[in-house]
Amino acid sequence: MRFPMRSLGIVLTSALALTACSSTSDDSTESSGAASCAPSSGPVTLNFTSWIPGIETVVKAWNDKNPDIQVTVQTGPNGNGGTYQNFFNQLKAGNAPDLGQIEYDALPSFRVQDGLTNLADCTEVTAAKDQFVDWTWGQVTFGEENSVYGIPQDAGPMALFYRKDLFEKNGIAIPTTWDEYAAAAEKVKAAGGYITNFSQSDINQFAGLAWQAGGRWFANDGSQWTVNLQDEGTTKVANYWQGLLDKKLVSTVPPWTTEWDNAYNKGNAWTWVSAVWGANSISSGAPDTSGKWAVAPMPQWTAGGTSAGNWGGSSTAVFKGSKHPYEAAKFALWLNTDQEALTLLNKEANLYPATKSGATLPALSEGVEFYGGQKIYDVFATASTQVAADFVWGPTMTSTYATASDGFKAAVSGSGTLADALKTTQTATIDTLKSQSIPVAE
Amino acid sequence: MRSKSPVRALLFFILPFGLLFAAFYLLPIGYAIKQSLYKVQRTGTFGPATEVFGGFEQYQRVFENGPFWSSVGRVLLFGVVQVPVMLGLALLLALLLDSGLVKGRGFFRLAFFVPYAVPGVVAAIMWGFLYSPNLSPFTSLTSSVDFLSADFVLWSMANVVTWVYVGYNMLIIYSALLAIPQEVYEAAKIDGAGPWRTAWSIKVPLVMPAIILTTVFSIIGTLQLLAEPQVFRTFSSAVSSTYTPNLTVYSTSSIPNFNLAAAFSVVLALATCALSFTFLKATQRGGDK
Repeated sequence: MRFPMRSLGIVLTSALALTACSSTSDDSTESSGAASCAPSSGPVTLNFTSWIPGIETVVKAWNDKNPDIQVTVQTGPNGNGGTYQNFFNQLKAGNAPDLGQIEYDALPSFRVQDGLTNLADCTEVTAAKDQFVDWTWGQVTFGEENSVYGIPQDAGPMALFYRKDLFEKNGIAIPTTWDEYAAAAEKVKAAGGYITNFSQSDINQFAGLAWQAGGRWFANDGSQWTVNLQDEGTTKVANYWQGLLDKKLVSTVPPWTTEWDNAYNKGNAWTWVSAVWGANSISSGAPDTSGKWAVAPMPQWTAGGTSAGNWGGSSTAVFKGSKHPYEAAKFALWLNTDQEALTLLNKEANLYPATKSGATLPALSEGVEFYGGQKIYDVFATASTQVAADFVWGPTMTSTYATASDGFKAAVSGSGTLADALKTTQTATIDTLKSQSIPVAE
Repeated sequence: MRSKSPVRALLFFILPFGLLFAAFYLLPIGYAIKQSLYKVQRTGTFGPATEVFGGFEQYQRVFENGPFWSSVGRVLLFGVVQVPVMLGLALLLALLLDSGLVKGRGFFRLAFFVPYAVPGVVAAIMWGFLYSPNLSPFTSLTSSVDFLSADFVLWSMANVVTWVYVGYNMLIIYSALLAIPQEVYEAAKIDGAGPWRTAWSIKVPLVMPAIILTTVFSIIGTLQLLAEPQVFRTFSSAVSSTYTPNLTVYSTSSIPNFNLAAAFSVVLALATCALSFTFLKATQRGGDK
């Protein structure tokens, strides 16, 4: 037993040596105040990481026209599926790419880790403000003056995807309110299906539903954060879905699995309240149902109401440490405002642009074959104007989502309720903030 | 007095290993220990963060973290059941191969080992499909027993781990069996020992060191379960983000809270060391070696 003891000794001494020789590693670059935005001299190469399907095609269109600013694109899994973790690790190691795709809900996490370049000194960027839908601009500026932490890329206004054929065949009216939706759920169950599948582990959909109902999970007054996962709107949504779960009116297949695709492909689930990009998820996951779907506005909490939720949407951000913020910003602006780029993004990945003029793209005014030729983007264009602009994301969403998802999964398996899960998540989120010394109200 | 050259030669031969060992083992461990002793300080909601020495603050969080310790309990329960079952099977298969009762020994040796060549993640996904209520080819079974429910999922994963590693452990035990000199068997035969007696009184005791070795590997592997729960998390409601200790480390580092994740890792590493050495000590005292 001598060797292990000795090696333990080596480990400890080397650890001490490491601690001794590297004193506090504070990268005290100012995180407040914008970075300078001067053009580099000579040609530059930028690295860009994204998970948009077909992004290579879009980047190639840029590279062909801009020999002096070449962009190398790297693709990976979606943000919470691993790319964010890579970004955080790369930032910690000081070798992050110049640009990265970051969803709106993750921007605060990257900003709090001091990972983003403030582009407020890039005049082209600030001048582009009016081109974007207001709430998306609010997400990248955090509602602050003199701060732009990313260029809005796309939005995820929500609507109701439904099986037109099944609703018609069974004489069920398309629900316009959540009460009607619950009533329809009973009829669908009687007809041998489920009205929808409750997303137990992807909390983003629930966030979109809460957003519509007036839930506001986080607030930031500059000196501290407030966490409020149990406000009136959110609780209302949680209790509503708990009711459907208790009556077994919704299925609970884990989302984004083959089994989940199967449930839609076989017609077990009749509706999906989802974002505009969900159009692509259905057509690729349930190919046998082509021509049978249609899109209607999201059910409302009050009859005649006009409010929509948002699910997802990304920005293109410039990471801290990029040596070419000017060129990076220029590319990000082109990617997200140029008509050619936006058309390509829509064609490759059904992205719905965050620009105001994007809604008038020719590709977005055409009927979509999978949806029986319906001009589905018209529904989302209306929804886009009905998304409340004041929803704020917290600085540790990864952890908030993980805890909420653990609780939702437990509720679905019959232990506890969705409301219990939100209560646990509230406490856990505050703990996570505190453990990172992020000021938070108790 | 020794001449200088052997020392130099010794250094020369140790150097390649030593360098790699330092670069990929000691340094990362040292770095993790260092990280675990720091904490982050900031001013305001988006103020700049500075890392300062925090002493054992992160460790205090680790010890106050209920889900982490219940996940340790969970993998211990997993290990207490799964490791003996797996090694028992491995020993049985190795004895069968060695007994001469089996024809096509080379084929079976390879066939048992093949699952180990399947990457853990792929194995987990494959078994996930088999367990899945609607996709499984055995729907009559999966519709009556939910293998992915809270009551079963731990043992469903144990089955995957067993499937992957039985062949690997069998091979280690089998090679130990092959190393037993023929004279021992002859002596046993002369003493009138049948195949059962030989297996129980000769073979098993002589391959004990191999069994102990595989047990230690298995204890380490059990405490570090990650791939299986990570994959099962996507299609089972019963697997949380803190289901095993390593999953907690992973979740914590993706917040990202590297300091706390480092503290979790160090505690986990120490627990693994302690358990492995305790097992070694206990078996050494018991054995006649």
